[in-house]
Amino acid sequence: MRAFANRNPRTVQEAVAIVQVARGEGRTAYVAGGGTDLLQLVKDHIPNRPGRGELDVLINLKSVPALDRIEVTPAGGLSLGALVTLTELVEHATVRERFAALAEAASVVATPQIRNVGTVGGNLAQRPWCWYFRNGFPCFKAGGDRCFSAGGENQLHAIFGGGPSYIVHPSDLAPALVALGAMFRITGAAGERMVSASDFFVLPRTDALRENVLADDDVLVGVDVPAPALGTRSTYHKIMDREAWTHALSSAAVVLEMDGDLCRRASVVLGGVAPIPWRVPEAEALLVGRRVTPELAREVGAAAVAGARPLAKNAYKVPLTRSVVERTVLALASRA
Amino acid sequence: MEDAHRNTPAHPADELDRRDFLKGSGAALVAAGLTSPAAVGAVPPSGSAQQAAPEAPSTFLRFTLNGAPYNLRVEDRWTLAEMLRDHLMGFLGTKVGCERGECGACTVLVDGAPVYSCSTLAVWMEGRSVRTVEGLAPRGELSPLQRAFVDHNAPQCGFCTPGQLMTATALLERNPSPTPDEVRRGMVGNLCRCANYNAIVEAVMAAARGATTTGGGA
Amino acid sequence: MNPRQAAPQLAPMRTVGHSVPRIDAAERVTGANYTRDFVRLGMLYARLLTSPHPHARILSIDTSRAAALPGVRAIITHQTHPDIVYSSGSIAGGAQYNDAAKDITLHKRFMFNNPVRHVGEPVAAVAAVDRHVAEEAAGLITVEYEQLPFVLDAEEALAPGAPQVWPEGNIGLNGRNEPRPLGGRQGDPDAGFAAAERILEGRYTTAFCQDAQLEPRSVLAVWEGDKLQLYTPTQGISNCRHDNARDLGLEDHQVQIICHYMGGGFGDKNGSYYHDLIAATLAKATGTPVKLELTRKEDWLGTHGRWPTTQDLRVGFTADGTVTAVELRALSGMGPYLRRSGSLSGIDAYACANVDRQIYPVHTNRTVSGNFRAPSEPQGYFPIQSMMDDVAYAVGMDPVDFARRNMRRPSETVRFTNFSLDECIDRGVDLFDWRNRWRPTPGSDAGPIKRGAGFSFMMFRSGVGPSSAILRLDGTTNRYTLFVGVTDIGPGAKTTMALIAAEELGVPLEQVDVVWGDTDRCPYSVGESGSRTTIMTGYAVVEAARDLKRQITERGVPALGDVRIASATPNPSTEGRQRLCFAAHFCEVEVDVQLGHVRVTKFVAVHESGRILNPLPARDQIRGAVLQGISMALREDLLYDGRNGQPLTAGYYGARHLTHLDAPEIEVSFIETDDGYGPFGAKTVGEAGIILSPSAVGNAIYNATGVRMKDLPITRQRILEALA
Repeated sequence: MRAFANRNPRTVQEAVAIVQVARGEGRTAYVAGGGTDLLQLVKDHIPNRPGRGELDVLINLKSVPALDRIEVTPAGGLSLGALVTLTELVEHATVRERFAALAEAASVVATPQIRNVGTVGGNLAQRPWCWYFRNGFPCFKAGGDRCFSAGGENQLHAIFGGGPSYIVHPSDLAPALVALGAMFRITGAAGERMVSASDFFVLPRTDALRENVLADDDVLVGVDVPAPALGTRSTYHKIMDREAWTHALSSAAVVLEMDGDLCRRASVVLGGVAPIPWRVPEAEALLVGRRVTPELAREVGAAAVAGARPLAKNAYKVPLTRSVVERTVLALASRA
Repeated sequence: MEDAHRNTPAHPADELDRRDFLKGSGAALVAAGLTSPAAVGAVPPSGSAQQAAPEAPSTFLRFTLNGAPYNLRVEDRWTLAEMLRDHLMGFLGTKVGCERGECGACTVLVDGAPVYSCSTLAVWMEGRSVRTVEGLAPRGELSPLQRAFVDHNAPQCGFCTPGQLMTATALLERNPSPTPDEVRRGMVGNLCRCANYNAIVEAVMAAARGATTTGGGA
Repeated sequence: MNPRQAAPQLAPMRTVGHSVPRIDAAERVTGANYTRDFVRLGMLYARLLTSPHPHARILSIDTSRAAALPGVRAIITHQTHPDIVYSSGSIAGGAQYNDAAKDITLHKRFMFNNPVRHVGEPVAAVAAVDRHVAEEAAGLITVEYEQLPFVLDAEEALAPGAPQVWPEGNIGLNGRNEPRPLGGRQGDPDAGFAAAERILEGRYTTAFCQDAQLEPRSVLAVWEGDKLQLYTPTQGISNCRHDNARDLGLEDHQVQIICHYMGGGFGDKNGSYYHDLIAATLAKATGTPVKLELTRKEDWLGTHGRWPTTQDLRVGFTADGTVTAVELRALSGMGPYLRRSGSLSGIDAYACANVDRQIYPVHTNRTVSGNFRAPSEPQGYFPIQSMMDDVAYAVGMDPVDFARRNMRRPSETVRFTNFSLDECIDRGVDLFDWRNRWRPTPGSDAGPIKRGAGFSFMMFRSGVGPSSAILRLDGTTNRYTLFVGVTDIGPGAKTTMALIAAEELGVPLEQVDVVWGDTDRCPYSVGESGSRTTIMTGYAVVEAARDLKRQITERGVPALGDVRIASATPNPSTEGRQRLCFAAHFCEVEVDVQLGHVRVTKFVAVHESGRILNPLPARDQIRGAVLQGISMALREDLLYDGRNGQPLTAGYYGARHLTHLDAPEIEVSFIETDDGYGPFGAKTVGEAGIILSPSAVGNAIYNATGVRMKDLPITRQRILEALA
């Protein structure tokens, strides 16, 4: 591996300053949470940020105290530090009980070894797993000017929201957090700001080089999830092409606020099918005020994929996603 | 599938694809018009002194390895696997199969939890406790889990075995009576290309039951 | 769960036939030393620079920046070492036992080639004082390429105007440099098709599956004077020594190969690899031990995997379910170098006398194909057993009954040493509960989650042949030492050899030590490939033990300080009879047709592999091989972008290898026999298990869904597309 210096900041502000100083010196600094994915990119000479150079300074965010806490707020919401590991999320009783979609999403990320070091922040900010990007092609995501999947091997690529890049967002937590209405806390040069989960992720038509709003000297420091309303239940269902240890071909995070057998509010957010977590308001609207029957679930599934625009080799994702949504909605509504 | 492998006739865009691929694909892959080829061959050591490698940033590290304190200077870029295998004496039991977090052979325990030692840095081990396969049988006495691996033929080629053992050790410490499915879920991050998965799960279950030749009890 | 013990007709033996842990089990569970674990003080680290192009001429290589990097000791390329030809070049399947091929071939494969013919082919190698410097230096070498047209698909490679991988064309050359297909005509295929009442035809494809042993390739090369010591992962130390000596212009005795533990060897490592030559050359150039380490990706693209195939099958049959003729037109994609044959098996399992086979090994600019556990079988059996399954349904027969009617049996003209397929099938039908699991009407389950069952059967070589063993009784220690030139790649050969010696000597296993894996200390062995070690080297152990017993009878046990030594190099024969092992596999799957998901819910593998010498590891050879076959059936591929010839899915993540959660439980049952050959009647085990699972899985998916999947791997995507 290329030589680089590890730095252990004591505060997030210090981490931001290290990035800025390095930039001033013409060096490249990246922030690491668990570091698993970042190290793979460094080993393969793939830029962690589009157009930026190879790693010179690695900022070990784990040295900042208190970023690894899970707090339940007095109102019943969640406040997660960016360095909470996926394992901690899976094992936290309140998260499992009241934010099931989040715990379930964390539980199907990669492997136990990766979940033991992988963090909330790292999972949300991870780079795409498109095989062109990971094999060193100079695509948009590496700072280039094209998407190789568009006319190439796009079996795993986007059926929604694609163009000019057709990557799918690789995070499992992201659809769950969008569905749960989370807010992300970001510290940057101008201090801390809050961005809603749905505004955090960026479509390629807005910025093809990036997957989110983070600037080079921004650090994602935490995630706040509002308290679920009474009667809320949630789940996350992930489809892979082996039983574990790969990214979603299609997934659905569903949150239903139920009143008896009537659905009051619904969030349906898809993963693995779009460059960002893909919310489907058409499907949500069908659920509101209705009893969730098998017939309605089928309509919801169909509505979820009505806007799909598959590429040459990924049309199979349309019926797959339809079935995933149908089954997930029905199973969640039927849960005792 | 045939489509996927079709080499479409030369199209201007495809030419561009190829060229661009080369331009941006990292130093090791760069192809470019260059100055006249230099004389190529075995490079003699320059001068009489052995040339040393350039210095890379390094840090003084204190951590615990299989219960013993260790203090050493590590290069910041060293992975934990690299430090164990190349820079400490006697810790070659940890194997590296892919170096990309894809196979699990390099699994060690950090503060009791399985971690891919190829995908974490040595310098991040400051103050932490690392366990490797050497720590399972410190005085040559195999652990009950190792005995169960022997009795149930869990290793075939054996290359994945240290990693499987470390993950299973952590699993049994947290859940002494797992179901076979819990074992599979807990060990899903350890590949076995011999595909001896059935025997590995049987061995872990036997160890959990205390059904090994030397009996249970750690 | 223990496998079923010896069938009643076989008398139990003292040592053989009882499950014993491996004699080296303690090393295996404490982290044994594999090639990469060996170090020499002051050794250098080497790294490769590989081609980013599928086909390109190297115009120039500039190593000046790399050479200037402090710590760099040597850089080698095709320019510095143009004359080292690797192995037998590209002819007649590599012909590892045929030195003449190296002189004959028109397609020489050099240590470094120009032009380069696939992505991942080595262009240069660097030795430096540490791994990071070597890696950085490799990145500082600049290469000017002229890109050449390339071809990835075997069928396109044979089309008019296709890019030429070799000047002689894209059909692999045989030992006379002729572009001839494998196979040929038997019986009267025309008459057979004329006699057919119906004919079915279909196209099947199978994918490249990297052998993907978990230990990435590395080599430690040490010169002591003019003697070369190579620590290298090889399945055959004797062949590896000879290959390297020949390629480096040395005598065999000038090369020592050491391979004790090996992190998996699933084929095509019974010999040398070009990395041996690179490490040896760098060590020679620097006068220093050199360890060459490959990254996982370099290993994936720079070694070998099962040859991908495209197969057109035609089968003629009568309404009563008798096959009258079979025709196969097949292309095996071999990559640019013909490392192995490209042949395909499976049709031979049928009795039909009228067969026309033309199998072309075809050159492409994909990575090189080679042997992977039963090299010609699973990708040969998948098409024919899928097709015969269709024929059975077409004539309204249970596929098991159809198999019984059409499978090859011994005859007056073709004699076998024994035949047990009927028993294999009977036992499998019983254990699996075939009659209740198989759907007479495919796809008949209601609802989106459908079950079905599939069956497949085979016969596979278990031939006898020459090998050597030396056995010594030491009068001082009263211990027996067995010297055998085997490496232990996973199945437990070392333990098996000790078991055989203990049995024949009539001594406890604990009294036998084994010396293995080192050409300076061991006699010749055929090597761990072709499932031959137990049969051939094992039989040499039997003969050596007999000789030693004779000596002891005649001259007594050796006195203090003395030894008795026996050696044997038998070359047994089956007197013109075919010696085969047999198996029948039964698979049940559950297919979720809406999610495209396949789950294997039951799998029974019944094998006759002669006498089972050590039941526990024998069972696991079968279970592991069946699972590797399931991985081939459902997951593995190496996808390329046809526009630029770049591989996209190298590695375990990309190829979607099985995890613990992907592995169903496999039930194994052995029918034990002793046909009088091999050590105590032992036959092939290691390769036998992988042959049938792809076809058994495919047939089960058909039975569940009513849709015939003809392309491997049967991915979620393909199932959803087929059922759309």
